[in-house]
Amino acid sequence: MTTGEPLRPDPDALLEEAARASRGRLKVFLGMAPGVGKTFEMLRSARRAKAAGEDVVVGVVESHGRQETQALLRGLEVMARQPMEHRGRSLLEFDIDGAIARRPALLLVDEYAHSNAPGSRHPKRWQDVAELLDAGINVWTTLNVQHLESLNDVVWKITGVRQLETVPDNALSAADEIELIDLTPEELRRRLADGKVYVPETARLASEKFFRLENLTALRELALRRAAQTVDDQLVGAMKRAGVEGPWAAGERILVLIGADAASSSLVRAGRRLSDMIGDAPWTVAHVERPSHPVLDEGAQQHLGTALKLAEQLGAAALILSGEDIVISVKAYVRQNNVTQILVGNRRFQRRRPFGRPSLTAALLEDSTGAALHVVTEAPQEQAPALPRRPRLAAGVNWRRYLSSAGFVAIATGIAYLLQARFADADLSMVFLTAVLASGVLHGLRPALLAATASFLAYNFLFIEPLYTFWIGSPANLLALFAFWAVALATGGLAGRVRDQASALSRHTAAITSLLAVSRRLSAATTKGEVAQAIADHVSAGVGGETTVLLPEGGEIAAVAGTPTLTPLGTSAMTAARWAWERGEVAGAGTGTLPQLPRTFYPLQGSRVRAGVVGVEHSAALTPEAQRYLTALLDQGAVALERAEFAADAADAEALRRSDRLRAALLNSISHDLRTPLSTVLGSATTLLDYGPVLEPDTRQDLLLSIREEAERLSRYVGDLLDMTRLEGGALVTRQEWTDIRDVLAAAIERVQRRAGNRRIDRDFPADLSLIQADPGLAEQAVVNILENAIAYSPDGTAIEVAAYEDRRGIVISIEDEGRGVPTAELERVFEKFHRLEEPSDRHKGSGLGLAISKGFVEAMGGQIAAASPIHDGHGTRVLISLPKPATPPEAAA
Amino acid sequence: MTAHSPRILIIDDEPQIQRFLQPALAASGYEPVKAMTGREGLAEIARRAPDAVVLDLGLPDMDGKEVLTRARAFYDGPILILSARDRETEKIDALDLGADDYVEKPFGVGELLARLRVALRHKIERAGIKPVIERGGFKLDLTLRLVTRNGEAVRLSPKEYDLLALLAEGGGKVLTHKQLLTAVWGPAHAEDVQYLRVFIGQLRQKLEDDPATPRLILTESGVGYRFGVE
Repeated sequence: MTTGEPLRPDPDALLEEAARASRGRLKVFLGMAPGVGKTFEMLRSARRAKAAGEDVVVGVVESHGRQETQALLRGLEVMARQPMEHRGRSLLEFDIDGAIARRPALLLVDEYAHSNAPGSRHPKRWQDVAELLDAGINVWTTLNVQHLESLNDVVWKITGVRQLETVPDNALSAADEIELIDLTPEELRRRLADGKVYVPETARLASEKFFRLENLTALRELALRRAAQTVDDQLVGAMKRAGVEGPWAAGERILVLIGADAASSSLVRAGRRLSDMIGDAPWTVAHVERPSHPVLDEGAQQHLGTALKLAEQLGAAALILSGEDIVISVKAYVRQNNVTQILVGNRRFQRRRPFGRPSLTAALLEDSTGAALHVVTEAPQEQAPALPRRPRLAAGVNWRRYLSSAGFVAIATGIAYLLQARFADADLSMVFLTAVLASGVLHGLRPALLAATASFLAYNFLFIEPLYTFWIGSPANLLALFAFWAVALATGGLAGRVRDQASALSRHTAAITSLLAVSRRLSAATTKGEVAQAIADHVSAGVGGETTVLLPEGGEIAAVAGTPTLTPLGTSAMTAARWAWERGEVAGAGTGTLPQLPRTFYPLQGSRVRAGVVGVEHSAALTPEAQRYLTALLDQGAVALERAEFAADAADAEALRRSDRLRAALLNSISHDLRTPLSTVLGSATTLLDYGPVLEPDTRQDLLLSIREEAERLSRYVGDLLDMTRLEGGALVTRQEWTDIRDVLAAAIERVQRRAGNRRIDRDFPADLSLIQADPGLAEQAVVNILENAIAYSPDGTAIEVAAYEDRRGIVISIEDEGRGVPTAELERVFEKFHRLEEPSDRHKGSGLGLAISKGFVEAMGGQIAAASPIHDGHGTRVLISLPKPATPPEAAA
Repeated sequence: MTAHSPRILIIDDEPQIQRFLQPALAASGYEPVKAMTGREGLAEIARRAPDAVVLDLGLPDMDGKEVLTRARAFYDGPILILSARDRETEKIDALDLGADDYVEKPFGVGELLARLRVALRHKIERAGIKPVIERGGFKLDLTLRLVTRNGEAVRLSPKEYDLLALLAEGGGKVLTHKQLLTAVWGPAHAEDVQYLRVFIGQLRQKLEDDPATPRLILTESGVGYRFGVE
């Protein structure tokens, strides 16, 4: 920043502050070991807060039967625990829903690292706390430093006790305040001796070891350091918010290189500690995959997956680099990302690589990347027995491969035995080689190596003098035999590797082909329902069992597609689905939220919005490969859903635009029709006012006439609009009475006579016509509108014929003109609102409403109206109105 | 006024409009000519060489703007547009295409005739440009590029002067935003109406007796500006 310009606060820091403002505040009472008095201190502080008038509630506190703790609890509101059934035992757990419903200002939740009973919403209590904070509730909790995830290894090394209940480091970083409860180790040991420290009976032995003085001293240091570091972080955060200039661990970036073995997770934890030490520097955990050796066995994949997941939990970016030469890939990454610290394990990377190339560590040391290199001692046997192991996938399948290879060797041995009479020993070795090759081709590298060695032994035992011993008599045989072994190993190895690569390739190809099929099907789907079904089908076929797709519907999400069938989800499954939908996090099996469910719920995150949720029933934990495939599938699905949504929106917008255009056209037409007569009235009137005295009397007369005509036209137009409004608003009331249609027609003709000019209006009424039930006013208006239309569209001097006659069902009125007629294509539309033929011959333009109103009125009286054209030699129009006779009971008024 | 009565052509397809315009024009000393379609109108302009044309934009056979464009190819007399308010953009287009003024329907005859008089006078002024324009205490000397107000020189920036001169030379003719912007700031700024708002405001501050009720530079809302003639 330039000098003189005031330093602006870091916007990210302010945003974080804003996000925190709506969240609850978290305070952690941090201690080095059980028994230092965290709970005690927390309760004392809580009593003070309550005395100060704050709404304090104890969510859960373990008193472990201690008198002083129970005394402190007295007078505080303590929430009831929720009973949870687990394997026949009833456990009392913290009631998170009750706490959220109670909404205290401050909630005490003891033992941050506690593991909830299976079947709870979250497996860990710190996850409960996170939800409480999200809900805006302030929480106080307690934590011993040994429960921190990144310190897990260190604590284990110090104390020899592996902590199973761990809290991710960012759960502690989330704390707004940390209070360190300190006690000298000597004092703590004294309290232990006095029986003031609660230790479960089962852990008595371990605890003897744990509470040794040197252990406590080391743990105390860890706790002090961690507390000091959090204070540091808060200071840095506060300074950033205030706009104070750095350096904030400027430019430090850490790269942790991991292999795919048991030691990887320790390396990740070491990375987190390194990051902490140099000021919470950004750090990345990377594994380098070699394209020529893409296949890791399931165990290695499991290790890698675990380590990468742990890395993300600890706040690192996790990624897989791809490159044939590890050193080159790493160096490129280091340069591109300005990595300043590299962390590697000693074991894997100190191994010399083939063909005399230096080890990775040596290569990185030699190269001037400028980055500091940290080498961490790995001890894979550290993989403590206490760490729960995931069931290994497909372990049985491997054995079948080895058994089958052994079978090949056995068959080869049998054939060789039968053939030995006729062939030389050297030729028999070919039979064994065939078995080795078959093992390699069919079962891959390791079974082939097994087959090679088994063949070597069988060959030696059965066919090499002295027979039936592994002893080799002659040097020539020795040479032949070891040559055979070497060839067998090489052949089998090559064949095996080729097979492994081919199968990996075919798996990749299958995945790509499948994704291609998915993308084709998704692009063919046009509605959200079709897209959802496609997603369900492909996810189910690709990675799991039963699959359900849920899409938003009116503020909720609902299952819309499923494979094999759409089955409704249970309450807890819906809870997990909603969790995934609202938070955009994976929930259900294999996650931190409702893991006891058989399904995992993945949010479908589109580019702009969350499109839905997919619930998949996994048969087992997914391999990283399957995970990648699923991710790709979900991404595609989300984008397709989004696109379907946009398409629907676009269609809606188009419809709206069309109706807007129609409305604009109507408005235009109405405004023109109103304004034209007004212009004439205003213009004529002002002419008379300004020039009245100088105008000829005839001209004055004409202007006055013009004013009257236009005012009448305006009045008719307004009348039409009112009629139309009444018709459309359903406010039209017909007054049916006995009516002579001839009177109606005569009155209508009378009304239009003046406007008819030189057109002749002929009447053709029979002398005898039945009375009908009709509304004479409406009938007259209907006929007038048709007559006006006939006048407007027929030339002066022609005839208009009005006729009436009776048929079986009623009275028919026929009005014919000799105008140009109506094009057949337009006939159906003449009764539509605002429909006007291009050029009326008369300049008295109609409103475009007349015929629509006639139709409305006739239909209101239970009649029908229709038009026909042309009627005489290519011109003329006839409009027919039929009104029902009294025999037919008149229909109820609309 | 010249010796013969000015001939005014009215192109409008509404017979009712023709019916009162004809006697009104005749009564105020003009010689009215009528045309009911665009085609007929163009023929009349060519044959009768009217002193001014009143043109309705809504014609049955062709668009009024089309008539305007074709007429401007051979006719440079004043053309007044009759327009309905819902055709705002068409009105502006017509002015940009070279119409001199417009009257909104419905209109009083007095207003139309007043606009017509201005247009005709402008035509006469344009024939021999008056180097000095005076209005009340305001005086603009186009030759000396000098502006005085009640005898005192007014200091104007070059752009302010250009804008003022353009409006004054228009002699009451409506100049659209686009025309003014293009002439003073160049075609690249044809849409930057905010420039005009600022400069017109400044000119009014310097020249008007009461800038809140301007008499020299008049606003035509949504269309442009004109120079106050009376």
